[in-house]
Amino acid sequence: MALKAILPMTAATLAAMSCPGLAQELNALVWCDHTDPALIEPFEEKFGVKVNLKEYEGTAAGLAILDQSQPGDWDVLVIDAVDVGRAVEAGYLAELPADQLPTQNFFPELVMAENNMVDGKTYAVTEKFGYNTISYDKTKVDPADMEDMASLTSGKYDGRIGIYDYYLPVLGLVALGQGINTADITPDTLGSLKDPLMALRAASKQVSDVVSAQTALATGEVDIVVGGGEWLTAVLAADNPNLDWTIPKQGGLRWAQSIGVVAGSTQPDLALEFVKYIVSPEGQAKLATSSCYWGMPANAKTGDALSMEQRAILRWQEQPDFLKRAQLYPIPDAALDTAMQDLWTEMLNQ
Amino acid sequence: MRALSWAYLAVAYAFVFLPVVVLVAFSFQDGRLPVPPFQGFTLEWYGRVLGERDLMEALLNSALVAGISSLIALTLGFLAAHALARVRLPGSVLMRGVLIAPMTVNYLIIALGLLTVFNQAGVRLSLWTAGVGHVVINLPLCFAITYAAMGDHQRNAERAARDLGAPEWKVLALVSAPMLAAPLAAAFFLSVTFSWDEFIIAFLLTRFDVTLPVEIWSMLRSGISPATNAVGSLVFLVSVTLVVLLEVFVFRRTK
Amino acid sequence: MGWGLVAPALLWTAAFFVLPFAAMVALSFAHMEGREVVRGFDPGNYIRIFTDWTMLKALLNSLEITVVVTVVSVVLAWPLAAIIAFRVPARWQRLALLLAVLPFWTSYVVRSYAWLLVLGQNGVVNKALLSLGLIAEPLEIAATRVATVIGFVHFFVMLLTLTIYANLIQLSPNYARAAADLGAGRWQTFRHVILPLTLPGVVTGAFLTFVLCIGDYITPQILGGNAELTLPQLIMLQLGRSGNFPLASALSVVLMAVVTLAYFASSRWLRLDRV
Repeated sequence: MALKAILPMTAATLAAMSCPGLAQELNALVWCDHTDPALIEPFEEKFGVKVNLKEYEGTAAGLAILDQSQPGDWDVLVIDAVDVGRAVEAGYLAELPADQLPTQNFFPELVMAENNMVDGKTYAVTEKFGYNTISYDKTKVDPADMEDMASLTSGKYDGRIGIYDYYLPVLGLVALGQGINTADITPDTLGSLKDPLMALRAASKQVSDVVSAQTALATGEVDIVVGGGEWLTAVLAADNPNLDWTIPKQGGLRWAQSIGVVAGSTQPDLALEFVKYIVSPEGQAKLATSSCYWGMPANAKTGDALSMEQRAILRWQEQPDFLKRAQLYPIPDAALDTAMQDLWTEMLNQ
Repeated sequence: MRALSWAYLAVAYAFVFLPVVVLVAFSFQDGRLPVPPFQGFTLEWYGRVLGERDLMEALLNSALVAGISSLIALTLGFLAAHALARVRLPGSVLMRGVLIAPMTVNYLIIALGLLTVFNQAGVRLSLWTAGVGHVVINLPLCFAITYAAMGDHQRNAERAARDLGAPEWKVLALVSAPMLAAPLAAAFFLSVTFSWDEFIIAFLLTRFDVTLPVEIWSMLRSGISPATNAVGSLVFLVSVTLVVLLEVFVFRRTK
Repeated sequence: MGWGLVAPALLWTAAFFVLPFAAMVALSFAHMEGREVVRGFDPGNYIRIFTDWTMLKALLNSLEITVVVTVVSVVLAWPLAAIIAFRVPARWQRLALLLAVLPFWTSYVVRSYAWLLVLGQNGVVNKALLSLGLIAEPLEIAATRVATVIGFVHFFVMLLTLTIYANLIQLSPNYARAAADLGAGRWQTFRHVILPLTLPGVVTGAFLTFVLCIGDYITPQILGGNAELTLPQLIMLQLGRSGNFPLASALSVVLMAVVTLAYFASSRWLRLDRV
């Protein structure tokens, strides 16, 4: 008897839970740095809404999620800046009013109009950037060695290297090590990256995601992380001041993430407000120092919203030089992307 | 021989308990990393964990999904077991086979199959879809346990009730179910346990609202931390309390 | 009347188990063109699984790990179950068993995480061995296959102890006595009487171990540290990173086929309805 009474009651509770109160909800498909409550809560309070966040890894997975969704499922999308074109092509992004975005305050290299705009229309705005290079513990390796990628596979650091488990930047770095620009990675040149990639794998102890790589570096399980950068070491700066990073002489990669409003959003105005909040100095400062990983804010006016210490960790002063020496991520088409992922999977299972 | 036995027992218990002891011990770590050396005792991590909104929501979600999906699995399983144990139906061996089949299939496959169908049917992922998956894995269990428990004793009582003019639903609710209270309880709590702890189905079939194992998984992805130890210890404490209560109040009595 | 009662369960199983499985099999014969799933009858995914060394290796890794885990777990659990059944006084047996499986009730994700803490470079095991002077350098256990196996064995020893114990206590002491009366030695009694009689418990537990182990994603993902890929990890990579549902489906069908083979191999002794 009680059973009969409980069932509808709990069902009702469950239904109520899935749409709490009457508060408006914003559904965002994001990278893990956006899940920091310190970033999201001020927006939720200001607009009296709830922001639902779903993380994803890698553009292919993000696009697959959008593929399987219905119009209106998503309001906001965070995506690799170099992949904005792919999302626009698939019809997932809505046009943004360019005049409402503070891009005039951005670092000039980070406006990235060629990526964020398609046919003269703006579809996304850069929000955060940084570098994929080499992170290391300066008390355990010779910092001079870190200026040359060749020293990684010289045998000196065998078993002390961790590789960041993301195929695009690491294959890009390997390409730079071979003197190939990231833009010149093609199905033909990809073959020549296999041996150096496998050599790097052979010299390394593990291939791991952001957090495992951070933990391994912080606890001394590895001394070098290939593909790392400020985003990897900054969170740990307080615990382990010996961690450092550099851009070797062969160069490094610059990553950038963009944010936009999803086409078909049922609340485009609120979604735009969220985008504007993220690129405002307040949102930018919180995003730059988010708990998942740190990174440089795209908006150069954010400097005042960051403490001196935070700016030092982000190497604010050195950005002009870094920006000059770093290349963008490879932008593979579907076939090359599959080939790169297959090479990566092969490396993982070597 | 006897000494060797006790030594083996001691080593086995040490192995079985080692991770739990380490987990609980370092949940009190006064430092950022839950590894030796032990830097002092603090309850800070428990405070932090209990104050975390997402985690508490996930806990509630897990309880709801486990409770509701187990109730459905138990009801369906009990009714089917009742029918197949009492009435001779053509193809009943085949039907038993079909009902038991999900038991031998990996959760990952069940999850992927459901994901494919939900995607094609345009069903939005939610706690409900994860709950559907949990019913699929628990239905065979509930069916098998109740089916095995049905004996002549119940059959006679049911027949008597029917002879006295009770409609079938009354026979089920007032005669069969109470007589099978113990196996029904066992099936229900086993289902709750499986659902409560299930990861891959919940991971692949939920969207924003997630269950506890999925939430813990995303916590893990933000690094090893005594906070994760604290969550693990709390879950352990709750589960063990439940097990002990069940042992004392349900299973002991039925013996 | 009977149909009405059995129908809901059958319908549920048909709609949410049989149908999804069929849909997955159908999808496994589709292929990707760019990001588009192209349906059809294309065995390309299966050909790839059995010709691409990366895929094949993942299957082999899974099989190796699963077989090692199953054998080690049975070998460790049998004596434990026997000691609890025959050495521990009857009134303490239930408590002993409850204690032996208590860590069962920690969350499954957390259990692997706990082993990571125990086995890590700076973990308890290494710190203890170092301070005892038994090793000079920390052992590299975490992020290797050994860690995955230890994590699995821990869980399945508990499971197998239960199934074997349940089998042992049903044995009448008369069997052993009869064997002794007939002049069998202790070893002979064990080898020819007790062991064969526990085969159903052993096989049932071993089969469950096999199924759960080969399909598990969490333990190798947390403890194996990407040092190598298992089949479930490969499936999750195809889902999570490449969005290649057809290939993930084909890999799942292969996984299913392996489990089915294991089922037929052990079906003679299986007592699934008694678990």
